[in-house]
Amino acid sequence: MKALADWLDSRTGYRRLLHHLLYEELPSGTAWLFTTGSVVTLLIGCQFITGLGLTMYYVPSPRLAFDSVRFIMSDLPLGWMLRGLHYWGASFLVVATVVHMLRVFFLGSYKAPRELTWLSGLTMLMVILGFSLSGYLLPWDQKAYWATTVTINIARSTPIIGEAIANVVRGGADLGALTLGRWYSAHVFLLPAALVVLIVTHIALMRKHGISGPIEPHAGPAVLFFPWHVIKDTVMIAVVFASLITAAALVPAHLDEIANPIDASYLPRPEWYFLSLFQMLKYFPGPLEPVATMVIPGLAIGFLAMLPFLDRAAGRHPLRRPRRIFTAVMAALGIGVIALTGLGVADRPPHKDRNDWGLLPIAGMEIATGDGNTCIRCHENGGPAAPLAITRLSKDNEWLLSHMADPVVIAPGVRGTRDHAPPPVMSRFKAQAAVAYLKRVHAGDPVPAHVDDTVKLAALTYAETCVVCHRISGEGGTVGPDLTVVGRRRPEAEIHALIEDPETITGEPSVMPPFGKRLKPEQIDALARYLASRK
Amino acid sequence: MNRSSQSIDAAGRRGFLVRLIQGTYAMIGATLAFVVGGAVIAPSFGRREAMWLHAGDAEDLTEGTPLPITLRVARPDGPSEVVDRKVVYLVKIGSEVRALDSTCTHLGCRTRFNPESQRIECPCHGGVYDVTGHVLSGPPPAPLRAMTTRIDHGQVMVQV
Repeated sequence: MKALADWLDSRTGYRRLLHHLLYEELPSGTAWLFTTGSVVTLLIGCQFITGLGLTMYYVPSPRLAFDSVRFIMSDLPLGWMLRGLHYWGASFLVVATVVHMLRVFFLGSYKAPRELTWLSGLTMLMVILGFSLSGYLLPWDQKAYWATTVTINIARSTPIIGEAIANVVRGGADLGALTLGRWYSAHVFLLPAALVVLIVTHIALMRKHGISGPIEPHAGPAVLFFPWHVIKDTVMIAVVFASLITAAALVPAHLDEIANPIDASYLPRPEWYFLSLFQMLKYFPGPLEPVATMVIPGLAIGFLAMLPFLDRAAGRHPLRRPRRIFTAVMAALGIGVIALTGLGVADRPPHKDRNDWGLLPIAGMEIATGDGNTCIRCHENGGPAAPLAITRLSKDNEWLLSHMADPVVIAPGVRGTRDHAPPPVMSRFKAQAAVAYLKRVHAGDPVPAHVDDTVKLAALTYAETCVVCHRISGEGGTVGPDLTVVGRRRPEAEIHALIEDPETITGEPSVMPPFGKRLKPEQIDALARYLASRK
Repeated sequence: MNRSSQSIDAAGRRGFLVRLIQGTYAMIGATLAFVVGGAVIAPSFGRREAMWLHAGDAEDLTEGTPLPITLRVARPDGPSEVVDRKVVYLVKIGSEVRALDSTCTHLGCRTRFNPESQRIECPCHGGVYDVTGHVLSGPPPAPLRAMTTRIDHGQVMVQV
């Protein structure tokens, strides 16, 4: 072993390099505050390694992106943990980078001759935010799709060249496969390459100028980096890594429903680290919008970039002259970001309950899996199509609806030459319900174990009539009132009477037609009972 | 305490710290290797569940004449799904029905049944099998793979 190491050393000289890296002399008094950079390095390392695992399974195409993430989350052993680490790692990294920047700021470590170290660090922060931004488009869920739509529209608001920028980041006129391809490429090739270059530059500059050490020089001998400072780095790293593992294990990474470009009701919200920018937009409507999207963020970044050139006096203490003024600006910036993030969190739209299936998916479940369902004619082992249990939703809504209405037209050759049975036809209403069901299952929402017969009847009735105008739990039309919590507003008897003939309750002609004659009494009973229970 | 015992003390402390540092990074590395390595390696050893497919009816078979049947085998393919086609020969021999995988055991080409010669032939490298799948001539190293079968109410079920 020793002989091999000697030989390697004689050929590469690695011991000298190792010695140079490990036995740096640090100024006396270098303490825990100087471990923030190591934590950032650890987290970047974790992101690289977990990202490597994820790219083996992720497919950057709108057809399969969502399914591949779902596959990672539910089918792949340890996949949920892998994605959990990457997902949480992104948040941890943003926090760690900002903490590191604040440490450098408050200790005045950015001052000459370390201006370029500061600028390379600031660029790294931008690259890390770029990672976050490109990263959350990749799962191609609702959040990915709509938050990216908003991001691109913000880019479009740039004066003069906005439209051109938007087209370049979209890769075309619409958000789709071309967008996903270029964001993926940026996320896994361009940005990592940039980050590696920046890290090497940053550390090389740090070594060239030495670390800044405590604000006031301490008397005393220099400390060797290894092991006397490395042990502090290691303890911090161990704490952060343990927290990351805990977060990933306890709170699984989020995955919305699959992106649905025609669902205009989705309220897009970015990840928390962009929430302050998102919230700020609300206060600058119309023509003032560029103030929130360009001017304020531009000024903040400009201030940070110019900082080492503006603050040229010798003192490093943040509360003493002449640094006070910069500390005040930084504090204002920090308070602004925190306040806006807080307001953004408070403004949160109501959370969708994954256990509340409403009625449409229940009807769909009954249609797709209940007695007499026709899907199983083809979707079975040995049949022309894969069993539903392994079928993915890789087609768009229109395809699914047409396929269910007439499977033969959309999939030629399904019917054998000897089979003269009439084509299985499903009404568009039923098909819509079935699609709603498949989407729920697909999103990993827990399938209700038992559904009452009354609820089944209510669901099937709703799916063929009420759904056109009324919405329940995010599904259905918007012409009539949302019935998600109608039980809070009206008792069962009143709902019953309303369905039979709205005029008896409203006392005036109603847009809603009377259903007393169009529905069977048991259907109205079932609907009224179910709706009254929605509180 | 004299100087030399102080430096021994310092050396002992240093050694302990070095081991602590090495141990911590080893644990972090092992955790990451477990999660990432596990997720990367696990699917390589996953097995597909066997299933029984209806390949044909026993009454349609003629003694000693292989009947080629195309089976559709649906399987998950990572995040996607595919329906494969697999050709098997059903051969009735006495009261028994055998199912032979049509894939040549030489290099995996698809074999054909030649009704004139009553033999199963591989077009790629000239392998020839008899109707029960035994090699008669050519390069194949082994007989055609016999698949597990059973007869259920006259239906020939094949395990794929």
